[in-house]
Amino acid sequence: MSGINQPLSKIKLLNPTYPNKATGLINGQSSGLLNWNDIAYPQMYDLYQTLLANFWKAQEINMQDDIKQWDDLTETEKDVFLRINTQLASLDSLQTPTLTHVMDYVTDSSFKAIFAVIAQQEAVHNESYSYILSSLVPLREQNERFDQAKDDPIVRKRNQLILDSYEAFRENPTPQRLFELAINSINLEGIYFYAGFAFFYHLARQQKMVKTSTMISYIQRDEMQHAYFVSQFVRILLTENPELNTEENIQYAYKTIDHAVQLEKEWADYILKDIDGIDLEEFHGYVEYLANKRFRQIGMDNYYPERENPMAWIHVFSDEMMNETKSDFFEQKSRTYTKVSSSNGFDEL
Amino acid sequence: MKAAIIYTSITGNTSLLAEVIHDNMEAKGIETDLIPVDEFQNHDLYDYDIVTVGTYSWDNGEIPLEMEDVYEAFETENVKHLSTGVFGTGDSFYPYFCGAVDLFRDMLFVHTNLAVTLKVELTPQDEDIAKCEKFCDRLIHQVAVMS
Repeated sequence: MSGINQPLSKIKLLNPTYPNKATGLINGQSSGLLNWNDIAYPQMYDLYQTLLANFWKAQEINMQDDIKQWDDLTETEKDVFLRINTQLASLDSLQTPTLTHVMDYVTDSSFKAIFAVIAQQEAVHNESYSYILSSLVPLREQNERFDQAKDDPIVRKRNQLILDSYEAFRENPTPQRLFELAINSINLEGIYFYAGFAFFYHLARQQKMVKTSTMISYIQRDEMQHAYFVSQFVRILLTENPELNTEENIQYAYKTIDHAVQLEKEWADYILKDIDGIDLEEFHGYVEYLANKRFRQIGMDNYYPERENPMAWIHVFSDEMMNETKSDFFEQKSRTYTKVSSSNGFDEL
Repeated sequence: MKAAIIYTSITGNTSLLAEVIHDNMEAKGIETDLIPVDEFQNHDLYDYDIVTVGTYSWDNGEIPLEMEDVYEAFETENVKHLSTGVFGTGDSFYPYFCGAVDLFRDMLFVHTNLAVTLKVELTPQDEDIAKCEKFCDRLIHQVAVMS
């Protein structure tokens, strides 16, 4: 039986006798040199480009409007705002070192490069939470809030699921544990952020703290690409290593993502309970809808009942919302056609 | 009656949808060609009664680069005879969910007999699969109305 439980060896930086195009995601042969024009999965170059195109930094967003509005928030809103901020920061803090750690065991240089970009983006996210905090509250309170996030039993409980898997890989980096780490990375980036996102977008739809939610929107846009990348990583890992593609591992994914879903609901019930205008029952449905999307992204079936997005207002801001200027195909051509709808005699299904 | 499905896909979701639509058309007795965008040529538009376009959306709900020639082909060729439909997959977490479907819709409405549009979130779910059959029925009905 092959070694899904055999430790992956830390790969050498350069292996001159091996090809530049890796022969495998893990346990493959690769020189260590990266030529993007000769990679095993050419679609990874597009993904890399998309990640770079999303580049942003916190300091570009002027927090003045939010600073002025801060004092008008209710005490509950302020409290929840700060708690969610530090909780999200603590999640991002885990991602940067974990992704750079994974890089040591991935044999395909193009994937390494993408992990490096994603780790960099997580570092930016981390900074943006600090930047928001520094705009709004003094250092003493910032530290108190970080301590609060560290001590909060519900936060700890939900982080534990991720931590156990990440630590297990650190201890013994096997293919099996890499698969499990990837599933938990989907939990972290693709499930755990959304109660927090819901809160900030909810403020934004009341025109509150819009600069903060602009950053949240950039973060969500990045996280969506990360979750997509990790889902591709999982698919390729399972395809290249059929011994990992077992019924047990499929069940592992269902069970673990379901666990994250339950923890996210629990966290939402706790952190959002005093926020008017967010229906917690609806949010539970939303988390299930969200998890169904994650299952489909990794090529599995829906686990929860099929439903429409119950909270469609949780989404990335459009360029117009952020007052960016567009330069694309339709900008240059100008929009020639009037918008039409089903009232014009065709069906929109 | 002959139909074509011109499509592009990056994650495999749109190509899956294209295949489901293809199988539905064939099941209804309509000979249907699946044409990946890199095999498309403008004169293909004259070989069919029904042409459907399948596309994902890019960036701020834009048409992907590789589909721009298809878009322009409908504008420059004589396609008044065609009954058309457009479908696509996307993620509603982005602004302008399936924006490329909307952009094709508005253009096809002007130049062709647009019958139907279909938007699907990521991999098609059961309800989406059911909609594919309606999508085909609507296209076939459109041809009947036209003739």
